[in-house]
Parts: sequence; C-alpha cells; structure tokens
Amino acid sequence: MVKAGERRWLGLAAIVLYVFLLAPVVIVVIAALNAGTYLRFPPEGVSLRWFQAFAHSRTMVRSFKFSVELAAIVTAIATVIGTTASLWLVRFSGRFQTVMRLLMIAPIAVPGILTGIALLIYFYAVGLGKSGGLWELVVGHTLICIPYVVLIVSAVLVRFDRSLEEAARNLGAGPLVTFRRVTLPLIKGAVISGAIFAFVTSYDEFNISLLLHGIGTVPLPIELFDYLRFSFDPTLAIAGTISIAMAVLVVLITERLVGLEALYLG
Amino acid sequence: MAALARGEIAGGRAPARDAARHLLVAPVAVLLLGFFVLPYLNLLVISLMTPSPTAAYLRIFTLGNYTRIAGDAFTWGVILHTLEIGVLTTAIALAVSYPLAYHLARAPRARKGFLMALVISPLLVGVLIRTYGWMILLQDTGLINQALQGLGLRALPLMYNDLGVMIGLVHVFIPFMVLAIAGPIRAIDPEVELAARSLGAGFWRTFWRVTFPLSMPGVVAGTILVFVLTISSYVIPSLLGGFKVLTVPILVIRTITELFNWPGGSAFAILFFAITIAVLWAYLRALGRAAHPAA
Repeated sequence: MVKAGERRWLGLAAIVLYVFLLAPVVIVVIAALNAGTYLRFPPEGVSLRWFQAFAHSRTMVRSFKFSVELAAIVTAIATVIGTTASLWLVRFSGRFQTVMRLLMIAPIAVPGILTGIALLIYFYAVGLGKSGGLWELVVGHTLICIPYVVLIVSAVLVRFDRSLEEAARNLGAGPLVTFRRVTLPLIKGAVISGAIFAFVTSYDEFNISLLLHGIGTVPLPIELFDYLRFSFDPTLAIAGTISIAMAVLVVLITERLVGLEALYLG
Repeated sequence: MAALARGEIAGGRAPARDAARHLLVAPVAVLLLGFFVLPYLNLLVISLMTPSPTAAYLRIFTLGNYTRIAGDAFTWGVILHTLEIGVLTTAIALAVSYPLAYHLARAPRARKGFLMALVISPLLVGVLIRTYGWMILLQDTGLINQALQGLGLRALPLMYNDLGVMIGLVHVFIPFMVLAIAGPIRAIDPEVELAARSLGAGFWRTFWRVTFPLSMPGVVAGTILVFVLTISSYVIPSLLGGFKVLTVPILVIRTITELFNWPGGSAFAILFFAITIAVLWAYLRALGRAAHPAA
C-alpha cells in the first residue's frame, strides 16, 4: 500500500520514464518534419522535403517495396499455419503440449543473430541458395513470426467455450463448416491481431535479414542500417515515421480486438 | 479417406480422424524441424570442421576452432566486455523498470489500456528507427549537447562509447522488463502491503521485505530475458558504439561475413551460447542460495 505522498513520487518517476521511453520515437517524427538537415532548437520550420527525398531515393523505395512484399507473404503463411498449429496445440496436442509450445516459442527465445548464422550456413549446405533470395528470407521471417501468432491465438483459444461448436455439430454441421461458421468468427480478433504482429515483426526484422539478404533482395532495415553507418540525413526519419504510424495503428487495433492487458499480463 | 469422412460426419473418434487432426500442426512442425532444429545441429557440426581459404570449410574433424578461441586473450577481452555490458544494462533496466511496472500494475482500470499502449508502442517501432532517434539526441552536435552548450556547459561524449550503447540498450529493453514484472506485481494483494505498513514497517522496509520478494518470479524472468537479449544484440552496439565498441555478436558477424571463416564463427557463437547458459545457471543458483540461506 502506498501513501499519497509516495504515490506522487511514483507518478513523477513514471512520467519521467514514459518521456525517456517515447523521446527517441517523437524525435524521429520531428526530424522527419523539420526543414533543416540537422535538428536544432528552435527548429528551422516545417517542411515535407524529406518525404520527397525519400520518394526520390531509388534504393530506399525499392527496399521499402521489397519489405512490404516480403512481410505480406510471411504474414499470409505465418497466420494460416500458426492458427492451425494453435488449434492443435490447445486441443489435440495431449502430452506433447509443453514440449511443442516451447519449440514453437523457441525462435524468439534464442538470439536472432545466431538463428541467422545457422540458417545461412544450412541453406548453403543443402544447396538451397548461395546468395540470399526471397524464399530464404520468407523461411527465416516466418520462423520468427510463428511464435507471435501462436501466443496470441492460443491465448484466446484457451478461454474458448467449446459448447458452441458442439451445438453446431449436433445440428449437423461438419467439422469444416463448424470451423468456418462458428470457430473462426469467434477467434477472428486474435487471428487478425496475430497477422498484424506477424506483419510488423517481419517488416522490422533485422538479424535474420542481415545474414540472408542478397543482391536485389535488401529489406528496408538493412538498407537503413547501411545508410546510418555512413550518412545522416533525415531521409531515414521518413522510413521511421512510416514505421511509427504502423506501430500506433497496431496498438490501437490490438487494444480493440484482444485487449493489451489480457495479451501481455495474462 | 471414406472412413475418415464417415468418422468426421458421425463425430466419432476413429483412429484415422485422430491422425487427420495432427495435420493441423504438420506445416509448423516441418518448418521448425527442417529450418530451425536442423540448422542449429548443422551449426554444431560445422563448428567442428576445418576452415579453408578456398572453400566454405573442409570436411575434416577438428577441435581447433574451439581451442584457438579459448587461448586468445583478445577474444576473452571481448567476451568479458560483452558480459559486463550485459550485467550493467540488465541492472539499470531493472532499477528503471520496477517503478514503471509498479505504477502500471496499480493504475486504475480505466487508464491501464492507455499506459499499456505507451509501454508497448516503442516495442513495435523497429530497433533501427529508435536507434536513429537516439543518434539525433546523443551525437556530438546532437540535441542534448546543443542544450548543454546553450547552458554554457561543456559538450559530453554521449555516443560511440559504452555509455551510448547502454542508453540505447536500456531503452530498447525496458518494455520487456516492465511486462515481465508488472504481471507478478499485479497479483500481489495490496492488503498484504497494507498489513506490513499498519504493523509499523516503513516504505522501504515494506518494499524490500514484502513487495520485492513477492514479485521475484517476474524479476527473474525479466532479468534473464534482458540479459540474453542484450549480449546477443548487434544493431545497437554497432551503431551507437560506432566502430569503437566491440561485442561478441559484432565479432562473430565479422568472422562470418567478412573473413568468411564459417567454422570459426560457428564455434565462437556456440562457445558464447554455452558461456551465457553457464552465467544464467550461476545466477539462478545464487538466487536460490539467497532465498534459502540455510541450504
């Protein structure tokens, strides 16, 4: 139990920490809208010139398109197979439940850079590709998107009232019809939310892409990394602002569909 | 198939139907086995092969990759420095995240969703973007140094050193730590803390004797998670450390992508993974001792 005076200190500490947490994110958006090359106080005015610079940078635009394409493919695959795997995990896995749950979560529990190295060498060893291509990236990204889909979808399935499905079955519906007309509509929120997480995870993924990308298949984060190492103009801030807008959308949608508290605090 | 269909329609439990159920997990199982378990086993095998300047590796068994690393003082320096950054970052992240987690766990219901969104949204902005934000703030001519000079103070070297790296790392891992701790704190009945206070314990005594021990599962989970993420991160040490801060992941990536020494890089990665597990084991043991001093 905290007394009023102490609660005020706690509140103050929390505000300072929230500012720390959001500072670099807010700064990126300000840099994107700033007219000058360097951010100064007071700012030199608002301008959209860096949006134009981004749109005119051929490598940036190509990487952006590639990242979106890659994330779309990964999202489609990870959502479908992650959802069916969640159904199995919650309902039919029996004594394998603990082991299989651990295995499905493992790709985000081990260091991404290590998985990247392991995949790079493995792809070479089995002769699937010597310099990274689209499909190597799809496999690597799907691997680290599956855990999020499984975590989100199975969290909802555990609380699922199965009597509704039994009612449908008793009324003569087959398993597929029951799934499509009863189960899916009820877990739709979680599936969409899992898909969104998969998209953002793939879009922002760095470690695996660093090792598996090739010529012509450079995801945006890798392009940004090379850019950041050597130069420093706000073209980057535009990519950042797009990413931030996506994050805000994700948070809003997830909060509506699943509830952030239920998802993260159990 | 006919038997399968009949079994499904009748809602029976024919063996064929049980087998069909397992098809649900087949794609994920194949993916995990074929592109996660096998690559890691392969990594282990490659680390025992002989490096070669002309091929990816020679199929000759050797322990040389491990013994070479184990006997190299420079490599040990990098390993120790990486662990040092890991311990410091984890400790700072814990100290900073605890009040935030407590505030979040005890926030009124109506405000919780909003606060939760504040904690989680940085998590969804790519690590590169956030690092770029820090670079704008921390560089020699960055906003913080501009402010310092505006106040007539000396500019500070905030970036391209351990300090910059740790600021970036702490920032990135706060949400993980907060989420890990907030759950257990939320489960503590406020009445228990109230009882301690009404029996005369002060704020700090109540915290150290009641709240903190009860939140231990979250603290353990959070510190392990953040430590592992810290020592295996690559982007932040390379960007905020410039080329001046060397950590194990940077060295491993360099060995593999620049020197093309796959066996050497694999051995280094596996050795470091083993060291990490040893450190975590020692940590859990020390925690166990602290919890049961008699044993």
